[in-house]
Amino acid sequence: MITLENITKSFIQEERGHNILKNINLKVNKGEFLCIVGPSGCGKTTLLRMIAGLDFPTNGQIIEDETKILGPSRERGYVFQQYSLFPWRNVLDNVAFGLEVKGLEKEEIYQKARKYLEMVGLSQYENSSPKELSGGMKQRVAIARSLVNDPQVLLMDEPFSALDVQTRHKLQDELVRIWSEEQKTIIFVTHNVDESIFLADRVVVLSHKPGKIIKTFNINLKRIRDRSTPEFLNLKKEITSLLEIEL
Amino acid sequence: MRKIFISMILPVSIIIIWTILTTFTGLIPSYFLPSPFEVLQSFETLLMNGQLVQDTSLTLMRVVIGLTVSALVGIPLGILMGWSNTVKDFSSLMVGIFRPIPPIAWIPFAILWFGVGLESAIFIIFVGSVFPILINTMDGVKRVDKVLLESAYTLGASNSQVLRKVAVPASLPSIVTGLKVGVGVGLMCTVAAEMIGSNNGLGYLIFTSTSMLDTGSAIVGMLTIGVIGLGADYLFSRIEKDVSW
Repeated sequence: MITLENITKSFIQEERGHNILKNINLKVNKGEFLCIVGPSGCGKTTLLRMIAGLDFPTNGQIIEDETKILGPSRERGYVFQQYSLFPWRNVLDNVAFGLEVKGLEKEEIYQKARKYLEMVGLSQYENSSPKELSGGMKQRVAIARSLVNDPQVLLMDEPFSALDVQTRHKLQDELVRIWSEEQKTIIFVTHNVDESIFLADRVVVLSHKPGKIIKTFNINLKRIRDRSTPEFLNLKKEITSLLEIEL
Repeated sequence: MRKIFISMILPVSIIIIWTILTTFTGLIPSYFLPSPFEVLQSFETLLMNGQLVQDTSLTLMRVVIGLTVSALVGIPLGILMGWSNTVKDFSSLMVGIFRPIPPIAWIPFAILWFGVGLESAIFIIFVGSVFPILINTMDGVKRVDKVLLESAYTLGASNSQVLRKVAVPASLPSIVTGLKVGVGVGLMCTVAAEMIGSNNGLGYLIFTSTSMLDTGSAIVGMLTIGVIGLGADYLFSRIEKDVSW
């Protein structure tokens, strides 16, 4: 379980009014799929980075299973919005990176890396260079690269925002499948309301400047979700109007 | 094909004008500027008596050794300076003062310390080529995409693993660029060093031929340097392409 206790983040520490996040309290349960939605600039990426340990709160603390988060860890995988594959490594060696730095035997590394590459459907591309992949494929490899470490939590920062709608929907389907197979906790940041309702158990809506939690929605729809049901559309309308007030 | 054709226009025109001026008008005496035929004759002589091959290989050897020393010092130091602000702050003043000093200014000291010969030349090449290599490497490490570094950290890599497995390979393009610039500077330094602190090599060949009014041989030496530089540039541009991520 991840607990955010009264998180405030400001970039100019002394000055008030420069808070980008204010008094965030949030508990994320084990195995939960949580989406954080908010307008751009609301600090949602910063929030995710702090959970990863790539950034630190000005006030408050973030606790994972009774331990305060003090830095990045292989227990918290991170999928970036930007393409982040190592361009000098082929696809398989990208996926293998986490196990390689852990110091496992070569055989075990490649066996596991291949398993996760298969999970994201890219087995036949193991020798390809990242340059040769489409945007969607790159993000799939990035997901496999994070999962290979078998992290407790997967943090995802708008990983599908650069993709076209069809590809995005396909990857959302796959992500739901992987999540249910692997039993991971996923914290997924997006500005796309549709995406958040499709994916999450719970959607947390952040306000704009300073980012505060304005409302939390429990999404009790059956997966794989149908975007055209009245329940889905009503939720979408409600969250969208909430965000529009913010802008 | 078109590219080759266009690139040949200028050199061919120059050779034609050069031939006309030196051979047919008689306006320019050969000790002032030898004709292309005289240059070819000198080329043949130098090739036959083995001097050209000997001087070229000596110069090349000096460049290669000097550049290797520069790379061995400049690349690791550049990586550390790009990685750690402490190392950078520690060495920036020193680098800042020594970098603008023209390598040729070191020649008197080089001769004083190492005498006339190989060590002197290597020292001069080192002084000239170490800075471009160092600065390019440092910039490369500094400019590594933050997302790649952070990805590695979230995948469980330690500081030294991030440095070795991400920062260094990611800055390889800049390192190669540094080496490419370094070769050019190194070549210039070698020839300058050979003119003053040596008794062989292409620089020495140019210097002694000119002082004996054998301008044909001097031009052969100059063109040989040009060809070496062109070759080195081509080689490193190829490598640059291979590592351009």
